Amino acid sequence: MDLSLILKRSELGALTTGDEFLLKSVSMNTMRLAREAKLKFDPQILVNQDDEAADRLFQAGRQLLLETGLYCTSSRRVIRFSERELDERLKCLPGQVTVGQGKELHTVRHRGVEDSAFPTIFGGPFNCDTDEATFVKFNEAYAREPLIDILFFPGYLKELDGILIRPGSGLSTRAAILYGRYAREAVMRAGRPDMPIAGHAVMALNEIACSSEEWGLRSTDPRAMVLISELQVDDVTLTRLVYYKSIGAPIYMSFTPLIGGYGGGPEGTAITAVASVIASTLLGGDFVHIGPQHIKLRVQTNQHSLWLSSIVNQAIARNSQMIITTSHTTAGRPGSLQFALEFSALAIASVISGSNQSGPRPAEPLGNNQNSPLMCRLFAEVGRATTRIDRAKANEIVLALYQEYKDHLDLATSPRGKTFNELYDLNTLEPSEEHYATYQEARAKLLALGLPLD
Amino acid sequence: MSNESEIFQKLAQSIWDFDPDAAAAAAKEALAAGIAPARAVEEGFSPAIRELGDKFDRMEVFLPELVMAAGAMKAGVNVFEEAMKKAGGSLANKGVVVLGTVEGDIHDIGKTIVGAMLSSAGYKVVDLGVEISVPRFLEAADEAKADIIAASALLSTTMLRQKDLVEFLTSRGKKEKYIVIVGGAPVTQEWADKIGADAYARDAQQAIKVLDGLMATRRA
Repeated sequence: MDLSLILKRSELGALTTGDEFLLKSVSMNTMRLAREAKLKFDPQILVNQDDEAADRLFQAGRQLLLETGLYCTSSRRVIRFSERELDERLKCLPGQVTVGQGKELHTVRHRGVEDSAFPTIFGGPFNCDTDEATFVKFNEAYAREPLIDILFFPGYLKELDGILIRPGSGLSTRAAILYGRYAREAVMRAGRPDMPIAGHAVMALNEIACSSEEWGLRSTDPRAMVLISELQVDDVTLTRLVYYKSIGAPIYMSFTPLIGGYGGGPEGTAITAVASVIASTLLGGDFVHIGPQHIKLRVQTNQHSLWLSSIVNQAIARNSQMIITTSHTTAGRPGSLQFALEFSALAIASVISGSNQSGPRPAEPLGNNQNSPLMCRLFAEVGRATTRIDRAKANEIVLALYQEYKDHLDLATSPRGKTFNELYDLNTLEPSEEHYATYQEARAKLLALGLPLD
Repeated sequence: MSNESEIFQKLAQSIWDFDPDAAAAAAKEALAAGIAPARAVEEGFSPAIRELGDKFDRMEVFLPELVMAAGAMKAGVNVFEEAMKKAGGSLANKGVVVLGTVEGDIHDIGKTIVGAMLSSAGYKVVDLGVEISVPRFLEAADEAKADIIAASALLSTTMLRQKDLVEFLTSRGKKEKYIVIVGGAPVTQEWADKIGADAYARDAQQAIKVLDGLMATRRA
C-alpha cells in the first residue's frame, strides 16, 4: 500500500477524539469480536495448541482493523483501510527481508508454527539507559556474541557532559549522532563492522540524526518506530516512516498490546494485537515487534502475556507471510536466575509459535547499563533449542518455568540484579565467574526440563 | 428511608452501567429528595466505584470499564457541584489534583488509571491530558485552586520534565503551595527524592495512600 495514501488519510480522515476512538471504537468492537471469536485463556495452556482458535483470532484482528482503522493522535483523524487494500498487501508480502552488509548480510524470515528454522536474534541493550563511558564496551560485548544476528537498540544515552538530555533538544540531537557513531564503533571493535544495528536513538524526531553510511546507522540497518497502544500513530512515527522508507531502510515497527487496557482481558488484547500487526504492515513495516505488556504487572512474562504472545504469533504465522519478532521484558533483573527463567519461558512460547526474538531486558532497570550479553547468548540458545521441540513439550516447559517465578513478578520486590559493569570485566569484556555460574545454572535447569540446548 | 435507599441504588447502578445520563438523573433525584450531595456521593457513587477499582486490581474488569465508570461518576458529581455552587458552597473532596503526562510524552494510560482511581477515592481530578508543558501544569493548578500536581512520565527521557516542574515551581515561589507527586514506569522513589518532588507512587493504589497521608498532614 502506498505510503502517500496513508499520509493523505491522516490529514483527511474522519475527525474524532482519542477517548471516542479508544472507548467507542476499539473497546466496543473488540469486546464484540472477542465474544464472537470464542477465545478463552486457560492458565494450563500457555502455549496455544488449537490451530482453529489461532485462525479465528486472525480473522477477528483483521475485522477489528477494518472496523476501527488507525487513529492519528496528532491530526485526530482516523486512517481507514479497505478490505481490498488489506488483502492485497497481505497477499504480496515477500516473507523475508535482508538487512546488514557484506559478511553480515542477514535475512530475517517469516517463521511458521513449530518451524525448524532458527529464529533471528535481535540482541542488545534493548533501550536500557546507558552512559557515554560504557556505551561502546557494552555494545561491543553484545556484538561479540556470535548468535546475535542484529545488534538491538544500543541503549539510550541519558545524559551528556553531566546534563540530563531533554527530548528534541540540540543536546539530544548530539546524543543521536553519538549513538550512531558509538554503535558503529562497537560493532567494528567486535570485528563485525557490517553487523546490522536495529536503531532507536532518542525518543524524538531528531532520532534520524544517527544516520550516516560512513559513521552511523546505515540504510541497510533496521530502523524502529512505534505504534501507540491501541491502534494509534502520531506525526513523529509517520515522519520517521517517510524518511526511513525514502532511504530504503528496513522498517521495524513495534507496539505493546496492553493486557487489561483498551482491548480488555487477554482474549480481547490478542485481537487488538493482531489488528496492530496488520496495521504495522500496511504502514510499511518489514518486521513487526510485539511487546505483550500487562497493565498491572508491567512485565511480559506473566501468564497472560505468555499466552497472548503464543496465540498471536500463531495467528500471524498460520495466516500470512508477515515477519514477527517478540520483545522480552522481565521482572527479575540480569544477574539473577529469575531473569533467565522468565525470558526463557517467553522465548519458548513465542519461538514455537512462529516468532523471531528481540531482547531480553528487565522491565524496570535500576540504573544505567542493567543488561547482560551473556544472558542474550542464553536467550539465543533457548530460541534455537525450541526449534527441536513441539508445542506440547513447549507448553510443559513454559508451565514449569512459570511456576518457578510466578510469585516474584512484583517489580518492587523482584530480584534487583546487577549492572553490566558489575557482571563483566570491562577490560576483557568477559563475564565474571559468578555471572557465568548463573548462566550454567539456568542452562542446567532448562536441560533438566527437557529443552534440548546445544 | 426506602426512597433514599432506592436513590443510592440508582446512583450505584449508574456506575455499574457506565451510564453518565443515568448518573446525572440519579443525582438530580437525590437533590430533589433532599439528600446532601456529600452523602449521596459517599453512599451512592463511592461504594460502586470502589468495587470496580477492586475488580480492576484483580483484573476482573479492565481499563475501558474503569474509564467509563469514572466518566459516569463525573457526570453525577457535576450535578452536585452545580447545585452546591448555586447554594454558595462547594462539594467536599479530599483534595483537588491537577494531573497530566509531561511534555514530549504521549502515554496516557497510566495517568488515566490514576485519575479514575483518585476520583473514586474522593479527590477532584482535573485531567489535563498528555504532553503538558511545565507552565501549563502551574497555570492549571492555580486556576483549579489545586492542592496537588501529579505528573506522569513513561519514558526515561521525559522524566526530566518532572525535574523541570519542581524547579519551575520553586522559581515561582509555588513549591510549598502544591504537593507534587510523580509517577510512571521509569520513575522511582530515588528519582522523586533527587528532584525534590513531595511524593512518588508506583501505581494508582499507592498514589491514593500517599496522597491521603500528605493531605491529612496538610489539613491538620
